[in-house]
Amino acid sequence: MRGRLTPLALSILAVAAWAISLGVLAARPEPFLVALPGLLVLATLARRPSAPRCTIAHRISRDRLFEGEAATVTVTVSAGSPVALVELLGPRPPGAQLGSGRHRALMTLRAGDVVEWAYELRFPRRGVHDVGTIAVRMRDRLGLHTWEHRYVDAMAVRVYPRVVPLRSLPRPFHTQPSVGDYVSSALGEGIEPGDIRQFAPGDRIKHVNWRASLRLGRLHVTQRHLERNADVVLMLDTLAEVGAPPETTLDQGVRAAASLATAYLARKDRVGLITYGGVMSWVRPASGAAQYERLADGLLRADVVFTYVAKDLLRVPPRVLSPQALVVAITPLLDRRFAKAVLDLAARGFDLVVLVVSPVEVTRAALAGSPTDDLACRLWALERRADLAELRRHGLPVLEWRPAEPLEAALVGARRRRVRLASAG
Amino acid sequence: MIRLLAAASAVALLALLRLTSRAEVVLWVGLLGLALAAVAIAAGWRWAATAAAVLFMVGYTLALRLEGRSVEPGVALGFGLALLLLLAAVDLTGRARGATVRGPVLGTTVGRWLALGAGALLAAMLAMELAAAVAGTLPAMASPLLAAAGGLGSVLVVAALFRRAG
Repeated sequence: MRGRLTPLALSILAVAAWAISLGVLAARPEPFLVALPGLLVLATLARRPSAPRCTIAHRISRDRLFEGEAATVTVTVSAGSPVALVELLGPRPPGAQLGSGRHRALMTLRAGDVVEWAYELRFPRRGVHDVGTIAVRMRDRLGLHTWEHRYVDAMAVRVYPRVVPLRSLPRPFHTQPSVGDYVSSALGEGIEPGDIRQFAPGDRIKHVNWRASLRLGRLHVTQRHLERNADVVLMLDTLAEVGAPPETTLDQGVRAAASLATAYLARKDRVGLITYGGVMSWVRPASGAAQYERLADGLLRADVVFTYVAKDLLRVPPRVLSPQALVVAITPLLDRRFAKAVLDLAARGFDLVVLVVSPVEVTRAALAGSPTDDLACRLWALERRADLAELRRHGLPVLEWRPAEPLEAALVGARRRRVRLASAG
Repeated sequence: MIRLLAAASAVALLALLRLTSRAEVVLWVGLLGLALAAVAIAAGWRWAATAAAVLFMVGYTLALRLEGRSVEPGVALGFGLALLLLLAAVDLTGRARGATVRGPVLGTTVGRWLALGAGALLAAMLAMELAAAVAGTLPAMASPLLAAAGGLGSVLVVAALFRRAG
């Protein structure tokens, strides 16, 4: 614990020095008497006071939440000796808002006092927020000495992106052998009835179609369509973003990615993630609830890291970006390197959907709304329309999503056909 | 409540100034000090409180020079205590800004300063008695020099204490 003099001591010294100087100049004894209480206070500096003893503990009501939700931080202070004044600065990570209460506290404690103080933090933006540090400052009786230390108890709140339920999803062209929700044209084990054929040795009795067997006079069985799953890779553009947090294009993209991941995982698909930006990272496709945790962790850390380097998708292992996978590229299309990467994927024959998060609306929301801003946004929207038309001309399915509108509305418009480009633009 | 204490100290300082002298210049210096004190209380700025205290001090010395009255230790001690209270209350105002206050913070602060006031009164009485006894033995020609040396000495002692404590 570090002890030092307070600014109040310096103020008292300054005023006392002024009083003594004025007393000498004016040749009057009263200014000396004015300085006397101050000098008496400062004389207590002659004895070195010992630091008050006090222990801090804190807890968080929830360590996992969704964007916009709140958690309560409760701090308990126990005094081992009398504390004339203790100032506490509770954790308030950047971006977190105070819901109720205050994250600073000022207390006077007697020996043995245990005081609990709580406040609510609201987290409007995804991320891993550190809430483990409390700054403590204790003062002596006259406020001349102060002791400071940081109480650290590693604690973090994970704020996951908001998820919206989706019913219409881009359907993958290729399916995988595992069981899923996509009805295959191939016949085998499944629920959807396919064809009827004559009974053959080895067929199971439960597959016998009794109605057809009675009508035709011989045993017939119902064949069923296989139900398959698919590999879906969400490719998130982290090269650039616009807008004000927590509503930047990247924030919206992350929310879209989380919603798509949830919906595809609910269909038993294997979902993977690639964040394409200054730092490229990926999560291997898998299915199940644990995979959502892995994807959400990847999305929590997604951030724009500036780089001049255009990353090559060939670096991504094939087991992450399999040729049979549906790639959903989520991008505001602010950086041409991402468009080039998408065209490259299309040229390599990947099944691809481009979900464009409109940066115009996001920027417009962040601006004051002057006529000049409005005109600039309209011109930008026209320019972007031309860019999107260019991508569509290459045969790419481009879905434009204005974040003010439901994501489902953008996904419903997906009309896809297989494309194979001769070369990447 | 803490702001109220600071405001009461500032008003008491102005009242003591008016009690010492009715001169217009003293009133203006006092009002300037009060304005600075108001800024300090509103914003919780320690530097403004220190400046206000120095201004009040200048006004008080000016009032003493203009009036040339006999020594009033009670008023002087009250003035010194009000200055300390102003500084301490503004300091506390700055710390309590945007904070949850738990426990008898204000009560203990006021109690501490009142105890200090009583101590200062005793010390002043002792100092005055001592000064009266010593004054007769000192040569009149050397008294300004002795006063300056005493003042410098006390400030140096306090500075040494600061170095030791800091």
